[in-house]
Amino acid sequence: MATETNAKASGGKSVWMVLAALVVANLLVGFFLAPRHVGLHHVPLIQLPNFLAPLGVPGEWLPPHITFTWLVMALLVVFGLVVGRGLRAVPGPLQNFAEVVIEGFYGLLDQMIGRQGRQFLPLVGTAGLFILTSNLLANIPGFQPPTANWNTTIALALTVFISYNYFGIRKHGLLNYLKHFCGPIWWLAPLMFPIEFIGHLARPVSLSIRLFGNIFGEESVVTILLGLSWLVMPYLIWLGVMLPLSLFTAAVQTFVFIMLTMVYIAGAVEEGHGEEHH
Amino acid sequence: MPDDEPSALRQLARLSTIGISLVAATAIGLLIGYGLDRLLGTAPWLTMVFALFGIAAGFLNLFRDVGLIGKTRR
Repeated sequence: MATETNAKASGGKSVWMVLAALVVANLLVGFFLAPRHVGLHHVPLIQLPNFLAPLGVPGEWLPPHITFTWLVMALLVVFGLVVGRGLRAVPGPLQNFAEVVIEGFYGLLDQMIGRQGRQFLPLVGTAGLFILTSNLLANIPGFQPPTANWNTTIALALTVFISYNYFGIRKHGLLNYLKHFCGPIWWLAPLMFPIEFIGHLARPVSLSIRLFGNIFGEESVVTILLGLSWLVMPYLIWLGVMLPLSLFTAAVQTFVFIMLTMVYIAGAVEEGHGEEHH
Repeated sequence: MPDDEPSALRQLARLSTIGISLVAATAIGLLIGYGLDRLLGTAPWLTMVFALFGIAAGFLNLFRDVGLIGKTRR
């Protein structure tokens, strides 16, 4: 417990440092780049030529959400490589940060799923880090968060959907897993099965639409505000209200996404487990 | 850490599903029914049945999330 609180304290400090760095960067660059900030209706800062045209992707440039998805992937992969190569017994600041992140995920997994939770770190951690990085990308002028596009979030949500069903089937076997869909009373099974089935199908939809809607809506408001930033007042509103709000949204939406992922995995892996073994 | 003392953020995560999942379940039921109807040519019936299933699924999710039927986790 003591190490946990220590980790939390230092984690809190580095989080605040990152936030402060973001705010300062925005203050310095933001005003000049503000009209370019909005990827949604303007040309984003990074563009790749459309080398996928032979495959049928339209347009002169690659769609920005794909470019920025690759950017986020590159950031995370480079971070992972740098930390993974330089592992030391006495961790430096970077390794410390990475350990705090991983410990945080472990804590959540232990809390939500229980003993067997830690094996799901790759899925939950990747999703969480990817979403958090993309959401925070929204606050850098000229960048556009890939999560503001439904294609990205539905891909994430479908990954989660297929994964938790796979985990459930791997744990219980196909028949036992399907039995959970039928409810406790056997003569209600024909009624319960389609209901549960539709309920499960609704999960990726609600998961993806929530994330996409929050980030896209926030981006749209920022677009409008910063499009008028020559009036100064909208820029101040963005700085004072929307920027803190969008930092908050980024964290909360990430948290909600991974929390629901863990709830779904826990439901698939645990359900009925108790009746068979205890 | 006791499971029956969810933090505010965890409750927020659970509760923020309610609005969307109610609609999503209904819409998905409706879509399945509509698709089956077009496939099998049984005009309005499967649409109605599956829309009702979808509504039921939405409310089942709703009650679960609110905790009326809540899965009692040990």
